[in-house]
Amino acid sequence: MTKEATPVKGYLNKAGNFVLEYLVLIAILLLVIITAIIEPRFLTVENFTNIMRQFGPLSFTALGMTFIIVGGFIDLSLPGIISLVSMITLSLYDTIGEVPAMMVGIALGTTLGILNGTILVASGATTQAKALFITFGMSEIYKAVSQLYTGGSPQDRNFFESPMPVTNALSSGSVGGIFPIAFFVFLFFLTILFIFQKKTLTGRSINYTGGNFVAAELGGIPTKRIMIIIYAICGFMTAIGAIVLFSRTPVASPLMGADYARDSIMAVVVGGTSLLGGRGSVLRTVLGVSLIILLFNCIVLISTNQFLPEVIRGAVLVLAIWLDHRRHAKG
Amino acid sequence: MNLNTKALGEQTLKILSKQKAIVAIGILFIIMLFSSANIFTRGHIEALLVTASPDLIIGFGVTLAVICKGCDLSVGSVMSISGILAIMMINSGMPVFLAVFLAILSGSVVGFINGFLIVQQKTEAFIITLGMGLFIKGIALFITEGRPVSTQNAAFNAISNTTILGLPSIVMYMLIIGVLIFCLMRFTSFGRNCYALGGDYEVAEHSGIDVVKTKWAAFIITGTCASIAGILLASRWNTGNSIYGDLTPLLVNCSVVIGGTSFAGGIGGIIQSGIGVFVMHLFRYSMNLFRIDGVIREISPFVRNLVIGIVIVTIIAMDCFSIKRKKEDV
Amino acid sequence: MEQNEIILSMSNVNKSFPGVKALTDATIEVRKGTVHGLVGENGAGKSTLMKILSGVHTKDSGTIVFDGETIEHTTPIQSIRRGLSIIYQEFNLVNTLTVGENIFLGRYREMKGLHNSHKKARELLDSIGSTINTHTLVSDLSASEKQMVEISKALSFSSKLIIMDEPSSSLTADELKCLFRIINDLREKGVTVIYISHKLDEIFELCDIVTVIRDGCIVDTKDVWKIDEAGNKTENLTRNEMIAMMIGREIENEWPERPRCAGDTLMDVQNIRTRKLSDISFKLNKGEILGFVGLVGAGRTEIVRAIYGADKAKDLKILINGKQSKIKKPRDGKRAGIGLLPEDRKLEGLVLSFSVRDNITMSSLEEITKFGFVNSSLEKGIAERQIEALSIKTPSPNTKTKTLSGGNQQKCIMGRWLEINPDILILDEPTRGIDVGTKYEIYVLIKKIAENGGSVILISSELPEVLAMSNRVLTICEGKITGEFNPEETSAHEIMDAAIG
Repeated sequence: MTKEATPVKGYLNKAGNFVLEYLVLIAILLLVIITAIIEPRFLTVENFTNIMRQFGPLSFTALGMTFIIVGGFIDLSLPGIISLVSMITLSLYDTIGEVPAMMVGIALGTTLGILNGTILVASGATTQAKALFITFGMSEIYKAVSQLYTGGSPQDRNFFESPMPVTNALSSGSVGGIFPIAFFVFLFFLTILFIFQKKTLTGRSINYTGGNFVAAELGGIPTKRIMIIIYAICGFMTAIGAIVLFSRTPVASPLMGADYARDSIMAVVVGGTSLLGGRGSVLRTVLGVSLIILLFNCIVLISTNQFLPEVIRGAVLVLAIWLDHRRHAKG
Repeated sequence: MNLNTKALGEQTLKILSKQKAIVAIGILFIIMLFSSANIFTRGHIEALLVTASPDLIIGFGVTLAVICKGCDLSVGSVMSISGILAIMMINSGMPVFLAVFLAILSGSVVGFINGFLIVQQKTEAFIITLGMGLFIKGIALFITEGRPVSTQNAAFNAISNTTILGLPSIVMYMLIIGVLIFCLMRFTSFGRNCYALGGDYEVAEHSGIDVVKTKWAAFIITGTCASIAGILLASRWNTGNSIYGDLTPLLVNCSVVIGGTSFAGGIGGIIQSGIGVFVMHLFRYSMNLFRIDGVIREISPFVRNLVIGIVIVTIIAMDCFSIKRKKEDV
Repeated sequence: MEQNEIILSMSNVNKSFPGVKALTDATIEVRKGTVHGLVGENGAGKSTLMKILSGVHTKDSGTIVFDGETIEHTTPIQSIRRGLSIIYQEFNLVNTLTVGENIFLGRYREMKGLHNSHKKARELLDSIGSTINTHTLVSDLSASEKQMVEISKALSFSSKLIIMDEPSSSLTADELKCLFRIINDLREKGVTVIYISHKLDEIFELCDIVTVIRDGCIVDTKDVWKIDEAGNKTENLTRNEMIAMMIGREIENEWPERPRCAGDTLMDVQNIRTRKLSDISFKLNKGEILGFVGLVGAGRTEIVRAIYGADKAKDLKILINGKQSKIKKPRDGKRAGIGLLPEDRKLEGLVLSFSVRDNITMSSLEEITKFGFVNSSLEKGIAERQIEALSIKTPSPNTKTKTLSGGNQQKCIMGRWLEINPDILILDEPTRGIDVGTKYEIYVLIKKIAENGGSVILISSELPEVLAMSNRVLTICEGKITGEFNPEETSAHEIMDAAIG
């Protein structure tokens, strides 16, 4: 096949592959330049802090989603998990205290993830499409349970009696006025998950499972256990994302997580992790999240319409899926 | 003897797994036992049909995509945006006829793009249409700035709110579209080719069927049906709203599967899908009439959502499980 | 009959796939109105030949003349419309459509509607004496009925030449008789049939001429019958001659000396039963190479998949070293000391988009894991050791496996298993699609495993290979073990006979 390609064509191909490979970095660079031209204040310390602060709930849920997608699956249950975790955690604040309530919330998120994975394994839904429908249904169930639990009304932290130092720290605390605490939490989980993904047996097994489910199974990898593990990780990270999310909004509604499944998938795919499974890393997801944050920074500067980001989001998602397909589906 | 009963049992199971709607109706009757309201009256059925019509029309369209071994999750957003577009164009002074035509065309355009991405570029149908749906929803939010739009135009309002031959017009349109698509799938070579390529893409291609064009056209029809449903819905409520249709795509796709049109492709039909969507609506409708202790109590929408979630998970998981069992059969 | 007119002639047709030469200078002439047999082992090049004719593959060089017309490029539909139909083993029918629709698939307009299609289909089915209802779904038909539909479909194009690829493989005796009657009718009508089969009895019963193909080369084309002056038919060649042509070369120096280190019983498999297999029981000795011989689809792969835990089986009982092993999933198989090199290396063996290192270390990562962490320097060591030991030709351990040749890909999977050194290694078609040089290297590896005390189950469609390497051979036919042979004492003919059934 390579015989037919002339040298020039070869170089063009290589250049094309290079651009495709580093598309995110190029886009990030372009966005920084454009934004800096439109808004000179972009390159100041305050804005830097501001951008770090935006590594909020999405960055946590996207880290969790990375494992699902690398493992070859998809999870639409994030809105439901966020809803149930935040409602139950908040309702426990006054009875058992802030930190224990968060622990319960994280345990609950992980359990819901395990439940998702178990249902998929038990019903034999080993394709992405089936996982999509089932996790969507699960999301509806979790959301409904959470609404039944609260009677549909939001949780207003202003009426809470117990002190909430951790919540406040997550929402507005910073180190030296520059580095937000939530950003450190993010870096902490990023490091752990990076090491987990690259160095541990389980992390590696996730890659094999996503790369070729049948070959991994025949090679002795416990693919079913891996399926449950990836959904558990996603549930765990989603629960943390939920905590960061409600710490930033004084009044938490059961429906506040609605966009997180979409945005997390977008961040992961934009970062260059393939929907075909097996390829990708949490670092790429960080790039994806950064790109999205910068992009929305830039849009806000250009337009005052609060719904323009919605259009761009959808367009970026479709484009990212398409490019991912063009990049990886050839071979 | 023994063999006979076993064969009979297998036969029954086979029919049941093909017609999941029968199972659903069975569950429904059990619910009816607890609810003393008789919903099988003309008034109830008419009301039910009116609410179900837009979803039925979308279901007819989605059936085409599913028969071609695809799936379309962008239909909900297409439905919402076509209504918005029609109302906005009418409000800007465009003749109703033209506005409606252009709004319907918008669905065909989305179908065309879906077709390009799925058939020509061979991307995964469910994920790319999910993305398209979110993109179009973004556009709908953008042009309406998140607010519902409405019009004073009487002609537009009349589209869905009159009666034709004693039937509510919206039901009439649904029946007409249903019959048209039924004939299209049943009697034209296009329809038969859809079944062929959904059943076996390669065999169809080797038999000289233009698989790309056929499947592409199916997605265009799916999009068009969704925009027609959107116009009817907008006319019925005299409102276009970007929050319409958030749940529609997954519900309709699930209903189509309940009806017996399979994601495996090449199986099913308009009538089956119609039954599936209708049963799903009957289900939701009858839950509204739940009677406890002889008193009609409005069921909390949360319980309704819970039940719908459980139904979706159960139906899809059952589908997966039966495929798994078939594969493992020893 | 105008038996001397040539309907199809192929001369010097060549075709190679990456790393393999599938057809070498294939030259065949098929006379009009004959039934032309085509025999050869699995992988001899028959299906490549068919796929070139149908237009699925494109030939590299050579000329094909069909019905006086030189054919350069063709597509499946073009060749059917020219009058050349192929009935594949795995039928080319849409299961979810009715019989009538399948026959006129894509031609409803030409047929002026479905109603006419069904009517015409009825006539065609009647003409070959079949009573299938044209409104039945194809998925509800038996194999023989599907064949009738395929034949009707071929006739609906008024085909001049119909190629049947192993048509008898799924038929009962009665159904086969019916098929023969139809083929004889076709011959009467002047339709030419190319009949591909393993089963020599059928060739003798049906064919006028037979061509033997082996290793991508045409060995010979001969009349099956000769007619003397008195008009008496006698066999022109014997069954034994034909088997000799199929197997060809005597066992030469293509294989290393077979190891002889079989010891006591290591594994005792009792009673595998599945839908395709019935009562499979056998023993495997320590240090032994056990060959499985059978046709494709006879159940060879199913047996080993059941042993390894990849497929479910009823009443499966496996004793390893006298102890019963519970094997329910591949992971259990691996733990019990079994390794499987699967039949389809691209779909079931490799993660193609991953590096050589990742693919080699896949199954041994557990051994170099401490507290959940994989020791990456040990991992590198494993990869380098196996690349060196198996002389895998790759630019670096980080190269993606999809860029390697078939032989080197196969070695990656071999390396994966050799690293964890299982007691029993199952090799399912280890040399399929691999060049001769690499084949030899793989044989040497197999020998080494046995010499180091490992047991090997070797499945191969290449009879000479199994015979040369194995200490013991089991023949498998239609889901049953039909014989056990010592390949050093038994002739290839006898074993082939048992495998063909």
